[in-house]
Amino acid sequence: MKKLLLLIFISVSLFAQIKKGEDIAVPYLAYEIKMGKGFDALQANCLTCHSFGYIINQGPQSKAFWAGKVVKMVVHFKAPITKKDTQTVINYLYKHYGNGKLK
Amino acid sequence: MKRRDFFKASLIAASSVSLTSSLNAASQPKDNQKISKVAFPEKRPMITYSDRPPLLESPRATFTKAITSNDEFFVRWHMPEIPTQIDTQTFKIKVSGLVEREFEISLHDLKTQYEQVEVTAALQCGGNSRSAFSPIAGGIQWGSGAMGCAKWKGVRLSDILERAGLKKDAYWIGFNGLETAAYYKTPNFIRELRIDELDNHVIIAYEMNDEDLPYLNGYPVRLVIPGTYSDSWVKMLSEIRVTKDYEKLFFMDIAYRVPDNETQSETPEKRYPRTKPIVKMNVKSVIGYPENKTIIQNASHVVVRGVAFDDGTGITDVLVSIDGGKTWEKSILDKGDAGRYAFRAFRYSFKPKEYGKLTIMSKAINRAGDEQPFAKDIGWNHGGYKYNGIDEVTVEVV
Repeated sequence: MKKLLLLIFISVSLFAQIKKGEDIAVPYLAYEIKMGKGFDALQANCLTCHSFGYIINQGPQSKAFWAGKVVKMVVHFKAPITKKDTQTVINYLYKHYGNGKLK
Repeated sequence: MKRRDFFKASLIAASSVSLTSSLNAASQPKDNQKISKVAFPEKRPMITYSDRPPLLESPRATFTKAITSNDEFFVRWHMPEIPTQIDTQTFKIKVSGLVEREFEISLHDLKTQYEQVEVTAALQCGGNSRSAFSPIAGGIQWGSGAMGCAKWKGVRLSDILERAGLKKDAYWIGFNGLETAAYYKTPNFIRELRIDELDNHVIIAYEMNDEDLPYLNGYPVRLVIPGTYSDSWVKMLSEIRVTKDYEKLFFMDIAYRVPDNETQSETPEKRYPRTKPIVKMNVKSVIGYPENKTIIQNASHVVVRGVAFDDGTGITDVLVSIDGGKTWEKSILDKGDAGRYAFRAFRYSFKPKEYGKLTIMSKAINRAGDEQPFAKDIGWNHGGYKYNGIDEVTVEVV
């Protein structure tokens, strides 16, 4: 009985160590994003830093809001998004995740 | 046209269009959001807003208990790159800057060379319940589950600073963790705190509810600052740097700030020019049971359960109303043995007497006399921070 308990104890502590020593695999989820004009620019520029979940879960927003978000990514987060792509991404976001208001 | 001018021009173009009226108020946050089928490491399936960075919310039913279990505890990271492996033998926290002795602390040092202390404290994202705001405030539209309460074990920050020896001009401490951005130039998620604002309750924690910190909650060590919002509870803490001057940082100067006026509110059309960090948590309660749309038999027993907390001032009462807020009755609070920073569990029993929809409300009050306002009386702020409206669930009595 003593031996059995010891074995259990060792296996538990080993498990804890192995778990923490191993590579942790964070799962990938497929966030359903709307397809449309400009989607390629979105895929090329946004996914490097964050999932589409970040976009979908902001709720519908104004064009000024989306412009502000994309500009923030460039100005504060230093994302290398070209001027052309910036405008494309803003237009895409407003069209598919806009609230109909420019501001 | 220079790049900056281009952005300015596009913003002006967008802003020159006339505005429609907006509510500028709050209502109940989103509830009953879908739980993901996919579980993340050391977590049970949760509401999952993003996988990179991971953003996981606890469902309402989590909040019937004063301690949130590790596998249900919410997760919020800022950067896409989180180390996928921590070597516990070589992991170190570097202490540097305006100190007499710069040094590194290993996990072993942390657990053996300092007094080990515990504090039970609530942790809440500044944007918790953001979905309550109208018009929709910028940011992830969290329900009320970006919060939790755990027993944290670790070492006092003050003990570490004492060993380092603060120099005369030491006024600020910067904390940095191991999460990193995809681009080299992206600012790190560094937090700066004023030394005189840190008390003995601030700890560097390696255990949460008697287990190692879960990976997604900051394994192997994180900062714990009881009473404050979670934005400064740096995860995977790797650097403590003492400075004389405050350094300009995106995550301090632009993110996690509210209008610096009495009501901490503004309108989308007229943003308040001065802002301040969110820092201390306001008084709040959340009902864990029953939930919206729960079906209850008429004249049967209902035990409402939930949790309440504030910035450590101390909850004195949680009142419950079952008549739309006209009359309120005291609920029964737990003993409060876990200390002033912890969730207080409350319970309130009654029997419904009428068929149909029934709304149950909870309102917490603290030692300073602060109480939760009705959602409709909460002013808007651009980041959707610090929502603390009276909580409501509407059940069906059949």
